Amino acid sequence: MEIVKRTKKIQYIIVIILILGVCFFLSLSAGKFPLHVPDLFRGDETALSVFWTLRFPRSCMAVIAGFGLGVVGIVYQTIFQNPLAAPDIIGVSAGACGGAAFGILFCAGGTVGVTLCAFAGSVIAVISALGLSMVVRGKSHLSIVLSGLAVQSLAQTVLMMLKLMADPEKELAAIEYWIMGSLNAITAKDIMFPIGVTAICMMILICLYRQIFLLSLHEDEATLLGVSVGILRLVILLLATLVVAAIVSVTGVIGFVGLVAPHCARLLLKNLCVETLVLSGLIGSVLLLVADILARTVAKSELPVSVFTSLIGVPFLVWLMVRKEKN
Amino acid sequence: MKKRIIILLLCGLFLLLQGCTDKIKTKNVSLTVQETMTIAEENVEAEEREESDFETSYPVVVTDQLGRQVIIEEEPQTIVSGYYISTSLLIALGQEEKLVGVENNPEKRPIYQKCAPHIMNLPQVGTVKELDLEQCALLQPDLIILPFKLKDTAESLEQLGINVLYIKPESKKLLEQATALLGIVTNSNEQVEKLQSMILEKTKEMQDLVEKSERPTVYITGNSNFLTTAGCEMYQHSLIETAGGENVAKELNDFSWAEISYEQLLAWNPEYIILAADAKFDIETVLKDENLAGCKAVKNGNVYQMPSNIESWDSPIPGSMLGSLWLANVLHSDVYDVSRYESAVEEFYGEFYGL
Repeated sequence: MEIVKRTKKIQYIIVIILILGVCFFLSLSAGKFPLHVPDLFRGDETALSVFWTLRFPRSCMAVIAGFGLGVVGIVYQTIFQNPLAAPDIIGVSAGACGGAAFGILFCAGGTVGVTLCAFAGSVIAVISALGLSMVVRGKSHLSIVLSGLAVQSLAQTVLMMLKLMADPEKELAAIEYWIMGSLNAITAKDIMFPIGVTAICMMILICLYRQIFLLSLHEDEATLLGVSVGILRLVILLLATLVVAAIVSVTGVIGFVGLVAPHCARLLLKNLCVETLVLSGLIGSVLLLVADILARTVAKSELPVSVFTSLIGVPFLVWLMVRKEKN
Repeated sequence: MKKRIIILLLCGLFLLLQGCTDKIKTKNVSLTVQETMTIAEENVEAEEREESDFETSYPVVVTDQLGRQVIIEEEPQTIVSGYYISTSLLIALGQEEKLVGVENNPEKRPIYQKCAPHIMNLPQVGTVKELDLEQCALLQPDLIILPFKLKDTAESLEQLGINVLYIKPESKKLLEQATALLGIVTNSNEQVEKLQSMILEKTKEMQDLVEKSERPTVYITGNSNFLTTAGCEMYQHSLIETAGGENVAKELNDFSWAEISYEQLLAWNPEYIILAADAKFDIETVLKDENLAGCKAVKNGNVYQMPSNIESWDSPIPGSMLGSLWLANVLHSDVYDVSRYESAVEEFYGEFYGL
């Protein structure tokens, strides 16, 4: 297997960070409100308010959410030994959708109520999936996948029932739009919780990178190397899923980032290492930032961000695959 | 010889005029929606006109709002309405006793309880997204009126031997056409004329008073999310413009509620914010929203909610004219007094809904 030298890995990471910096700057410049730099320096109240309470938090959320989804994506694909594993494989997104639909229908707390319900829904879904997997004999990663599928189906059934109860003229459209994912309603207040949870869980996951990569081995091999496979898998999945739950409860379901970013990182770095984790996260950030810029500028109204994460992510992945074939 | 020819021509002209007058007095015609609209428009615009009594002659061929030609053999005695707009229209046209089935959740509409409480106990046939075909088969109505979004059900209903009309009252003009269409098929053209005359009269009275005033900018919200609004293709846009306001979202051309961001709203900086009649959030929440502190409407306390205690006037129902009058009073209270709006409400619901 071709090994990419460490210096080259660092170069890739630096280039992606530079691209991320440019995209972040573009994100701060793009938006419907006419923000001008002189207004900011002059201390214009409205301009400063828009910048610090709306534009800056939205851009930060795109970076953090993209990073979190990218890292979690590679964690899931490693643990489940499945290149198609995505962050919602054990029902976290379906649970969040069900919770959000419940919040839209029954909670009067506005976006805060919907966020809390979505987070609660995703946590309930994940705990149910992991709890169910512990009951099943064998305790391999397949039992977690199967439990996740069962919980996902149940959550989607709950979502369907809630959609049936929703008024088609009013609530149904709000539920559908939430499911598609968007950063349009992100404000300074909304990002504290997801950024806090993501930062803490990311730090722990990156520190545990060796253990995560050992889980990519066959279970018997990992056990022989002294890894408590069952417990470690549960802990890592819980941490990873908390990240997804915290992000999705605020942004809605953002597709493709957790699937595409890990593959892009692997295609560039060729093997699993801590740099791959970080690169996957950074690529996720770039992907989500660019998608969000397009979502708020392409049309006169805000479009769902998931439309653009797939439109951008998939061609980039195809390009990397073609490049790999040529090499 | 010349004199005889002139006398003959004069007699012929006299006979011709006599025949035309007789025709106008009692007209039994089969009319298409377009012809009815044309006649209705001419009647409304004319300063003086003869009293005319339009009776629908059955069988009648009508074109519904999906362009389908439908033959109505005889006056329908049993009607199912799968849309709250057509239910409200049928009540206004005095056809509520013919209803044998209605849309889901009629208890959510205060107007039914107030003027046609028997509707609460009628079988429910579905929503704008799905239709209960078996229920329709069970009811076997002479006519079923559905929203255009259920257009795929037409074939199934026709196989069940049920006449179906689709309405699409997505704008003021389309609402007028839908009203005329239902008037023809239910033989209540006179009621249609009265309804449209009152709407035109009250709207014109209001517009004459507000036309010289400056048009303030208005942002109207959706029902479940503050950051959704109506663009130029939506009915709510015409409601604002009719009331002497300027819809800040008129540049959006979405055919449904459009999602925006706080930034967009602050960029528009509307002078008035109007909450939808059935909004899940209230005025207090909007006024306290820190993200809107820089918005003119919030700074000046100009946040209002469309009334909904009788009907939701921000949707395309006959009573939505009153939504424009209410809004005109909000935007131009100096020239359009609240008493005018209140008397219009009393007159409208008294005349057409028996309240």
